[in-house]
Amino acid sequence: MAVLAPTGDFRTSYRADTTIFPTLGSRAALWAGLAVLCFAPLVLDRYFLGLLINVGTLSIAALGLNILVGFSGQISIGHAAFFGLGAFASAWLHERFGIPVLLCIPIAGVMTAVVGLVFGAPAARLKGLYLAIATLAAQFILEDFFARAQWFTGGVSGRITESPVIGGFAFDREESYFYLVLAFVVVMFVAAANLMRTRDGRALVAVRDHYLSAEIMGINLAYYRTLSFGIASFYAGIGGALYAHHLLFVSVEAFNILFSIQFLGMVIIGGLGSIMGSLMGAAFMVALPEVVQSGADAIAGGALDRMLKIGGNISFLREMAIGAAIILFLIFEPDGLARRWKLIKAYWKLYPYSH
Amino acid sequence: MKALLALAATVAIAAPAMAQQRIPVGHLMDNSGATSDVGVPYGQGVADTLAWVNQTRQGVGGRQLNVLGFDYGYQAPRAVSQYQAWTGRERVVAIQGWGTADTEALVRFVNRDRIPFISGSYSAALTDAGGKSGRAGVEASPYNFFFGPSYSDALRGMLRWAADDWKAKGQAGRPKYVHMGGNHPYPNSPKEAGEAMARELGFDVVPAIQFALAPGDYTAQCLTLKQQGVNYAYLGNTAGSNISVLRACQAAGVQVQFMGNVWGMDENAMKAAGTAANGVVFPVRTQVVTGQDAPGMETIRAISRISDPSGNTYRPVHYMAGACAAMLMVEAMDTAAANGGQVTGERIQKAFYERTNWVPRGFEGVCTPSTFTADDHRGTMRVAIYRAVVTGDTAQGSVGDLIRAGTMRLEPVTTVELERKRELLGW
Repeated sequence: MAVLAPTGDFRTSYRADTTIFPTLGSRAALWAGLAVLCFAPLVLDRYFLGLLINVGTLSIAALGLNILVGFSGQISIGHAAFFGLGAFASAWLHERFGIPVLLCIPIAGVMTAVVGLVFGAPAARLKGLYLAIATLAAQFILEDFFARAQWFTGGVSGRITESPVIGGFAFDREESYFYLVLAFVVVMFVAAANLMRTRDGRALVAVRDHYLSAEIMGINLAYYRTLSFGIASFYAGIGGALYAHHLLFVSVEAFNILFSIQFLGMVIIGGLGSIMGSLMGAAFMVALPEVVQSGADAIAGGALDRMLKIGGNISFLREMAIGAAIILFLIFEPDGLARRWKLIKAYWKLYPYSH
Repeated sequence: MKALLALAATVAIAAPAMAQQRIPVGHLMDNSGATSDVGVPYGQGVADTLAWVNQTRQGVGGRQLNVLGFDYGYQAPRAVSQYQAWTGRERVVAIQGWGTADTEALVRFVNRDRIPFISGSYSAALTDAGGKSGRAGVEASPYNFFFGPSYSDALRGMLRWAADDWKAKGQAGRPKYVHMGGNHPYPNSPKEAGEAMARELGFDVVPAIQFALAPGDYTAQCLTLKQQGVNYAYLGNTAGSNISVLRACQAAGVQVQFMGNVWGMDENAMKAAGTAANGVVFPVRTQVVTGQDAPGMETIRAISRISDPSGNTYRPVHYMAGACAAMLMVEAMDTAAANGGQVTGERIQKAFYERTNWVPRGFEGVCTPSTFTADDHRGTMRVAIYRAVVTGDTAQGSVGDLIRAGTMRLEPVTTVELERKRELLGW
C-alpha cells in the first residue's frame, strides 16, 4: 500500500520523497494530537493515565521489536528479557550509584543495547527458526540471572524503584509521569522514523527483503543483523526503565516468555514494518484485557454467568481474549492495525469515488 | 443497535451513582497462577463471606460493600498495577490480598495511601508494624494484617513439636532437619527463622532443597532426602507442588516426617496425594475444621450456601481461614463506621487495635482469637498442629465423601503456644 498523496503532488527531490508526514493535513493532525495529549492529565483520571503510560512504555519496546522483526526480517522471542534488563539496570544504577533517575533511563538503554549485541551475535549466522531458538536462550539465561543476581535485581523478591526527580520536582504521580513518557515516546518514535530514512535503515530493509541481493549490493549482513539486535534492545531497555520508574517495583516474574510473546503480538497486531503500528499494537494490547475485564465484571453474577456456569473461570477470559485476538488478526488483518488505519483514511479521502 | 447503545449509556451513567453508595473493597485472588490450588478455596471463602455480609448484615454501616475481585495469576507486577488502578479509579478503602511477593512489594504503597491490606501471606516481615525491629529488608508495615500465625511462628511451633516427637519416639542422636521449597519470596520467608530455631532445639540442619512452585517430578529431591538421612522436612510450597514431592517420596520409599506450611496441605491435597499424604503435619488456623462442631460453624455453613445453595460442598481449611480474614476486615470497618464515622483506610486500621483476643461475632469457636497492637501485628502466637490421616484409596468419591467415609481425616496433634518475644518480631 503506497503512501496516499494528493493527485498532482509530484516530488522533485529526495528530500520531499522521504518526508515522514507527507501532507499538510497529516502534519496538522500530528501537532493537534500532541496538543490534545498534553491536556490529557487535566481531564483523565489516574486510571486512564496509567493505561496511557503503559501504552507509551510498551510501545517504545514494541517499536524496538518492530525494527528487528518488521524492518530487518529477523525474529526474537526474548524481547521481554531485554525489557526487564532495562528495568533492573535503571533501578540498580539509581540505588547503587545514586545517579539521577532521568540519567539512569538512557544509561540503562545503552547497557541493554550492549547485552543485546552480545545475544544478537548468533543472528550474524542464524536465520528463521534457529535464530528464534537462540533468542529463546537469551530469554531463559536472562530470566535465570534476574532470579539469582541478588546484587542486581534484589533476587526473587524484586526491587523497589524511585520516581524521577528533576530540580526538586518529582514525577511521582500519573499526571506528571505521563509527560515524561510522552516526551520519550516522541523522541524515540521520531528517531526510529528518521533511522528508516538513513542509509543504515534502508540497509536493514534490504536485508529483510532479500539478503542475497543486499549482500551483492555491498551490505554487510552480519553487521546489520547484529546492529538491529542492538537497536531493538536499546528500545526495550528504555521502555523497561520507564516501566520500572512508573510501577515503582520490578520483579523477575513480569519478564517471562509470555510477555515476550505479547510483544510479538503487539507488533503483529499493530503491523509489521510500521512505526505507528507499534504504537497502535501496544494500545490494543493494553486496552484489550481492560475491556475484557470490564466485560467480565459486567456479566459476573448476572444471568449469563449463571446460565453458562462461568463463575470463577471468568478471569480466564482475559487470557483467552489475547490469544484469540492474535489469531483473528493473523486471519483477517495480517498487515495489522496500521493498514486498517490507512484504509480508513483512504475511504474518507476518496469518498464518494472510492472506485 | 441504538437501543443497545442507549442501554449501555444508561448503565454507564447509573453505575457511578450506585457505586457512590457502596464501599469499594479490593480483592486480589490467585485463581490461575502457581498457588491457585489453595488460592481458589481461600478466595472463595473471602468472596462468599463479603457477599454474605452484604446479604444478611446490609454491608457495613448500612452501606453495601462493592467487592472488586481480580485474579492476578500470582504475578506480583500485575497485582501492583491493579492496586494502582484501584486506588486511582475506585478508591478502595481496604484490600483483601494474597501472595507474599506482591504483599511485600505493596507495603510501601499501602502505607503511603493508608489502605489496610489483609493478606493471604503470613510472612513475618509484615508483622513489624512500627518498623522498630531494625531487621534488614523489613519496613514498617502498619497497614498490613493477616489472620493466623506468621509462617516463621508456625514453623517454630512445628519444630517444637518435632523436637518433642523425636524424644517421645525414644530416638537417639540429633534429628536432621531440612527446609524445602521454591526459590520465591513465599517459601523463602520462614527459611532462616526455621533453621535458626532448629539449631537452637538441637537439630542438625541440612542445606535447603529446592523444588519449583509448580507440580513436577521431584524424585531427585526425595533421593537427596534419603541420602542425607533427613528426619524432619519442611515443605514451604503450596499444596499442588507438595503433592508431587509426597508422591515421589512415597515411590522412592523415603521415610521422612514432613511438616507442611499453612498453605502446604489441605483436604484437596490429601485426596490428590492419597496415602502419600498420610502422616504429614501442618498448622490449621481455625479452631475447628469442617465436620467438627462449634457455635460459629452455623455461620460458616450459611456463608458456604452463598456459592453452594445445596450446602453439600466440603469446605477445606483455607475456605474457613478466608472467612475469618474477611470478617476481621468487616468488623474493623463496622467499628470505623460506628456512630456515623467515615469508613476510611485510616479509621479501619485504628479499629484493628480496639479489640484483644478478637473473635468476630458469630464465629465463636471457629476463628482463632487475634490481637493486634500498634507495634506488633502478630495476630496470634498459637499454632494448632494437625495431622493428615489417609487410610485408603482416595481416587473415588469427592473430598466430602472420603471424609465422611473415614478414608481421610484431619487429626489434631497438639497446640503450641509460643512466647511473644520482642526480638523475634518481623522475623
